[in-house]
Amino acid sequence: MKINRSIAPSLKDEIEFKLPEIKSLSLSNGLRVLFIERNFLPLIKMQLITSCGSIYDPEGKNGLANLFSMMIDEGADEFNSLELSEEFDMLGSSFTISCNHDNVFLSIQTLTENLERSLELLSKVILKPHFDLHDFKREQNKVKVMLMQQHDDAEILADLAFSHLIHARGAYANSVLGYEDSVDQIIVNDVIDFFKNFFAPENSHLVISGNISETVLIDLLEKYLHEWNNRKKNTAVNIKRVFQPRSIYILNKENSVQTEIRIGHQAEKRNSLDYFPKTIMNMILGGQFVSRINLNLREAKGFTYGASSNFTHYKNLSEFCTAVSVATDNSLAAVNEIILELNKIKEGVTLKELLFAKDSLIRRFPLQFESNSQIITNLSALAIHELPINYFNEYLNNIKQVNQEDVKNAAIKNLKLDELSILLVGNQREIAKQLSKSQHERINYINFRGEIIG
Amino acid sequence: MNILNIKYEKYTLSNGLEIILHQNKNLPITAVNVWYKVGSAFEKRGKTGLAHLFEHMMFQGSQHAPKEMHFRYIQEAGGTLNGSTNFDRTNYYEKIPSNFLELALWLESDRMGFLLPALNQEKLKNQKDVVLNERLERYDNQPYGLAWEKILAALFPPEHPYSWPTIGSIEDIKSYTIEDVTNFFKKHYSPSNAALVVAGDFEFSTCKNLIENYFGSITSNGKPQELKCQSPVLSNTVVINHDEDVKLERIYLAWHSTNAFSSNDAVFDIIADILCGSKNSRLHKKLVFEKEIAQDVSAMQISGKFGGIFLIAATLKPGKSFDAIKEEIFKEINKLQVEGVSTKELLKSKNGIKANFINSLQQIDNLADHLNSYNYYLSEPNSFLYDLNRYEVIDNDFLMQTSKIYLSKSFVELRINPTKKISK
Repeated sequence: MKINRSIAPSLKDEIEFKLPEIKSLSLSNGLRVLFIERNFLPLIKMQLITSCGSIYDPEGKNGLANLFSMMIDEGADEFNSLELSEEFDMLGSSFTISCNHDNVFLSIQTLTENLERSLELLSKVILKPHFDLHDFKREQNKVKVMLMQQHDDAEILADLAFSHLIHARGAYANSVLGYEDSVDQIIVNDVIDFFKNFFAPENSHLVISGNISETVLIDLLEKYLHEWNNRKKNTAVNIKRVFQPRSIYILNKENSVQTEIRIGHQAEKRNSLDYFPKTIMNMILGGQFVSRINLNLREAKGFTYGASSNFTHYKNLSEFCTAVSVATDNSLAAVNEIILELNKIKEGVTLKELLFAKDSLIRRFPLQFESNSQIITNLSALAIHELPINYFNEYLNNIKQVNQEDVKNAAIKNLKLDELSILLVGNQREIAKQLSKSQHERINYINFRGEIIG
Repeated sequence: MNILNIKYEKYTLSNGLEIILHQNKNLPITAVNVWYKVGSAFEKRGKTGLAHLFEHMMFQGSQHAPKEMHFRYIQEAGGTLNGSTNFDRTNYYEKIPSNFLELALWLESDRMGFLLPALNQEKLKNQKDVVLNERLERYDNQPYGLAWEKILAALFPPEHPYSWPTIGSIEDIKSYTIEDVTNFFKKHYSPSNAALVVAGDFEFSTCKNLIENYFGSITSNGKPQELKCQSPVLSNTVVINHDEDVKLERIYLAWHSTNAFSSNDAVFDIIADILCGSKNSRLHKKLVFEKEIAQDVSAMQISGKFGGIFLIAATLKPGKSFDAIKEEIFKEINKLQVEGVSTKELLKSKNGIKANFINSLQQIDNLADHLNSYNYYLSEPNSFLYDLNRYEVIDNDFLMQTSKIYLSKSFVELRINPTKKISK
């Protein structure tokens, strides 16, 4: 067969992809379960998502939710901390815990043959954690040292300061790890109270993917989790939408050879009405390698290894952020190019760009259900954002319906140029020198908590 | 275990390109994975980082698929793609919905056969800038980001090709010319120096025809001369002190270990796991959990075709001393050499390694890369069981013997000192 290399091969046939069935179940204690059965390999992954992240930290005790998440596996029932870890390790099962603003996640990855023992261990963690004082002191100290280390890393500093700037005094402004003074204020009884008040089946979801049948799974879950009957305490959380005037900020990081740039603002929570146009708009703007921002800053200007923009969706709010790190000399030029792109996309996108983004999302769909980890991510999104159970069944149709006008409107509505916080983290003197020659607003000098210091 | 018996078909095109096909129709997804048998070890001093820069140039367009189009086509098809460079090899990979297999083969064949006509000064300058920024972002501006470079330079003699990092030095990156890039391509990017894996959902006859059509006519430049280098020896222990703008001291200890897939290679993975791989591992338990003199501690075996490095690193808690940490580390090494480990510890490591191994097979692109890796290092793509068995057979005697032979030798000790001391 003679081939013509000059044109891209044409598509011959469509693939058949059957979305795996998502089961929505609940246990006798009210715990909601989302499950996909998958039998290619003898593996199971599960994640318990509890809505008790750092936005529930009490005033003055920032870092409590995170410390709770670090403490919950420090010994349970008959096992001390090391013994408990050893029990999981002997199975080859991995048990990990993490905490973000909204949730605490307990995740298990195991061979099918070890599922039951893994669940038994998980039930000990959930029902009978020790919260021993000695373990608490050690973990508290570990966090304090982590907080110290954060100041070494320009990327982390930029992310922390940016959250403070755009969320002002709201719950999403605060660092998940807390601060040295706030972590000092936490005592072991705070952790125990937090566990009693927030760690409950009614504000949790369990998502599972892997090699097990529904009936066997439910029997096992009932057997090991039915005793979990904590009740959640009602607490008000400060999550109101705040509007910050457009401003420019510098956070000094001496000896930096690069400037970490963050440009963006607080935005609305994930909303079913314009989620799809907004996603497509961001894909074209900065959500993929061939996006406008990356092609401009990386492939045309050579300013950076990579530049991107994103909407990060929390449960109650979101943030829009463009992030890039550039050599100090290019700080101002990079800021200007990003703002130019933000302005430009409000004029709309071309039909070619739209079709490209839609094709990419539609065709990528099957690839997002390949591994248990990917499925867990998808199921977690359903749980966290309270999406309808048929969300993935409707996903392709929702993408297909988006037109150019929708994308333009999504840009106009969701990109708020008069609310931009423009943050540069790096060599203050050099950055200020560049900015002073530009038309930008007055410079505010801040610390990593977003407080103006000069 | 049956799931680790990965069936494949292997053959060679007339131009020398090795082809490995593995069919798996679980999902309508296909992975294309090309290994070129060249990495930073094949560079010369003065031009370090060229293999990695070259990887970037492979995404800058070829004769029939201009700049950016490789990314554009694959992303439009809903696929994912990237490439990576290490000491020994450079790989390029796409994962696509299976109806786009031909597209991926067209793109990979175009840059294998027709890169040079599309190469120009402007693209080179742009990617030199991008790579310089990559170096700044991932090394120079990272806390402790220069440690690796310093360890390599001290552990290996300057003529050994592992004595510089894959990213290369700033001066070298700035120095590349079009001629450097062209010669590199001609020397190393011949089909006869590469292997192509297609894994996932495809039909054998169609796939073979496509491969023959797209790759069969690319001319071979022969094979580059085989790289030979002597096993490196460190005659005396080297201590390096480096000042950096960080808050906490960190210590790195590095020994020469063994080449990838040589008999002791897997033992070092197990040793690393027993020392630092879990909460209850020996060094973690001692330094982080009980004595609380370290914030973190890690160990790893990094091995390639021409050498291996066994590395232990620990970050000190504020106010703690290097000597205290070092003493504990050597106490534990000595214990390994004299007493060995318990049956339970060994079993724990093996169970973890086995579970992780099975877990890594879930994604077809991972599996494709494994096939290429085994083909490169072991000349047998289906070495999954063999690989896992390397760990299964390790017993306490073997572990003690390995730690005695290798961890009694001279080593490199790198101490990172904060430029500003914290007042306590």
